[in-house]
Amino acid sequence: MMTMRNLLLLAVALALLVIVPPFLGLGWQNMLVNVLIASLFALAFNLLIGQAGLLSFGHAAYFGVGAFAALHLMRAIEGGLPFPTPLVPLAGAAAGLLIGLIAGYFATMRSGVYFALVTLAIAELFHSLAPQLEGVFGGESGISSMRMPWNGIVFGSMLEVYYLTLAWVLVCGLALWAYTRTPFGRLTLALRDNEQRVRFLGYSAHTAKVIIFTVSAMLTAVAGSLQAISIETANYSLFASNVSAQVVLQTFVGGSTVFFGPVIGATAFTLFSFLVSDLTRSWVFYQGLIFVLVMLYVPTGIGGVIQHHIHNRRQLDWRNMAGHYVLAFVGALLLTAGVVFLTETVAVLFGEDYAMVRHNAEGGLPPFELFGASWNPTGLLTWLLPIVLLIGGGALLIRARRRISTIWDRKGPSNATATEPLLAGGAK
Amino acid sequence: MTATPTTQTALRLAAITMSFGPIEVIKGVNLDIRAGERHAVIGPNGAGKSTLFNLISGMFAPTSGEIFLNGNSIAGLSPHLINRAGLARSFQITNIFHRMSVFENLRIGVLARHGVRYGLFRPVAGMRQVNEETAEVLARVGLESRGHDLAGDLTYSEQRALEIGMTLTTGAEVILLDEPTAGMSREETEKAIELIRTVTEGKTLLMVEHDMGVVFSLCDRVSVLVYGDIIATDTPERISANRAVQEAYLGEEAAS
Ligand SMILES: Nc1ncnc2c1ncn2[C@@H]1O[C@H](COP(=O)(O)OP(=O)(O)OP(=O)(O)O)[C@@H](O)[C@H]1O
Ligand SMILES: [Mg+2]
Repeated sequence: MMTMRNLLLLAVALALLVIVPPFLGLGWQNMLVNVLIASLFALAFNLLIGQAGLLSFGHAAYFGVGAFAALHLMRAIEGGLPFPTPLVPLAGAAAGLLIGLIAGYFATMRSGVYFALVTLAIAELFHSLAPQLEGVFGGESGISSMRMPWNGIVFGSMLEVYYLTLAWVLVCGLALWAYTRTPFGRLTLALRDNEQRVRFLGYSAHTAKVIIFTVSAMLTAVAGSLQAISIETANYSLFASNVSAQVVLQTFVGGSTVFFGPVIGATAFTLFSFLVSDLTRSWVFYQGLIFVLVMLYVPTGIGGVIQHHIHNRRQLDWRNMAGHYVLAFVGALLLTAGVVFLTETVAVLFGEDYAMVRHNAEGGLPPFELFGASWNPTGLLTWLLPIVLLIGGGALLIRARRRISTIWDRKGPSNATATEPLLAGGAK
Repeated sequence: MTATPTTQTALRLAAITMSFGPIEVIKGVNLDIRAGERHAVIGPNGAGKSTLFNLISGMFAPTSGEIFLNGNSIAGLSPHLINRAGLARSFQITNIFHRMSVFENLRIGVLARHGVRYGLFRPVAGMRQVNEETAEVLARVGLESRGHDLAGDLTYSEQRALEIGMTLTTGAEVILLDEPTAGMSREETEKAIELIRTVTEGKTLLMVEHDMGVVFSLCDRVSVLVYGDIIATDTPERISANRAVQEAYLGEEAAS
């Protein structure tokens, strides 16, 4: 059944994760380490929003706490403490547990917007205090350390760091998966569904939410300490709001209602930033755009869409649909090309470099370089091209979308309860 | 059964009042519910019946007065503590876990009864006792065939049955049901009455009910709540013969 297939998929993924990296270059190995860390961060974060229905805007706090705790322990090991380097993330876990317990106690007194605001405020507190606390956070420059060898493992190469990270992420990911099948895991879902009723069944909703928050903070801190191990340094910028926002973005784009959704989002964003961030300065803008579009058109995220298709695979008329999906893909590609062209053009024209060029040209509008070609700012082609791309791609996409949705409407009733998120169906 | 079961008080309300802002909704209610009896609260819309249930079950704290459950004061305690002290309630507006299976809706309460409230170290699927008891409750409320369906997909009357089932799961001896048959057809009501009768066997029941037919066939005593005041408490027969009650409530029903 489903579970058998999932198990097989998981085994294949695992094998690839173990076998492939030695054949990759340093940059890609480093990228994979970042993917793993971001995945664990997002999974731990999603325990709150995806399962308990609590949206935290301040998870950078626990990520940072984990990183600093790990670095302090690493420094102690450098100083001669006989502690095995592979277990350094335990320091992060302990610190995350403690800070999560305290922060969670206060944050979960409120729900909804107020909860989100309290978590935001707590992270801001760390962000503003850290530069001043020389001893704990190393002031503005932060603290650094070095991975010390242990039991013959030197931890000098990126590959060793990769396997260490992989082991920790797998163990924590597995723990999170097992969590959904425990009584408390089921209570977590019930809490999201109807907190009031939970109270009248003999549960303290506050206690439950503090525990959930603490578990989430603890595993987030493990992710933070893995990053500290990988880059051997940390400073107060780890507490910045963009770190908190990043994990929200990744989780929602990946799909918060599906267990593996956050992993998809974290992987996609990390991979794209690896591939694209050197090429464009508008990367953050694209990220935001992707987020907005996903929220508007596929609010269940990439994972939700995939799951929806898997649930209905038997009822769908695939042969009729495949062509439309290809057309939709082409439309999306054209649309993307148009957006990128327009964005980059605007970025160039309003950028500092071009201001310099204009200054030298005494106020005129000299041609500029983009995508290996020269473009005239007042030329018709420069503006017609993106507009044609946008309109053509948009029209194609809208048409294909309409066709696809009529085919979806025609499909027979699904036997799997389509509305049931994977999490809710997790344990029977 | 003890020799004098009727002399024991399961639930005692002593001069409780409750105000929403300047408006006093409950105006000094005194009421003794005997252990093992089935007791109805009737009254016109907006009389304060649900508010009374909310006070007893801990959703709100009374403005003044005392509430005793088996002799222990519970006024102002949190709902979960009152539940653990042995009182469970259902809701007038169906209050279930819509996105979870029917079976899981019931299991949450069974787990609470077994004290594994925050269990994190064992899969729930392996807890045989818990799952067997959940299946038992599922069968008692007649939802065996619906166990795997989402609670949100049940029909209205099935959801009402689930609502009652959830109230039973925590093992409370004092059960509060708020209009369990509201909105049901004749046959559904008949079935619901039988269900309530069997599942509250040996327990104490306090229920809000508009339908005098239901009250007659199910309850030992009735209290009439009008504008936050209990104007009479007696057997169903004598209540329906009571002049003041007829004027305040039943007459109004007959007229409409
Ligand atoms: N949360 C609240 N805030 C303010 N006023 C409330 C609240 N709940 C109830 N009331 C008011 O208290 C009064 C009693 O309401 P309650 O729901 O207890 O009546 P009821 O007897 O259960 O009526 P019904 O038969 O319609 O269920 C009403 O006037 C209602 O408007
Ligand atoms: Mg009511």
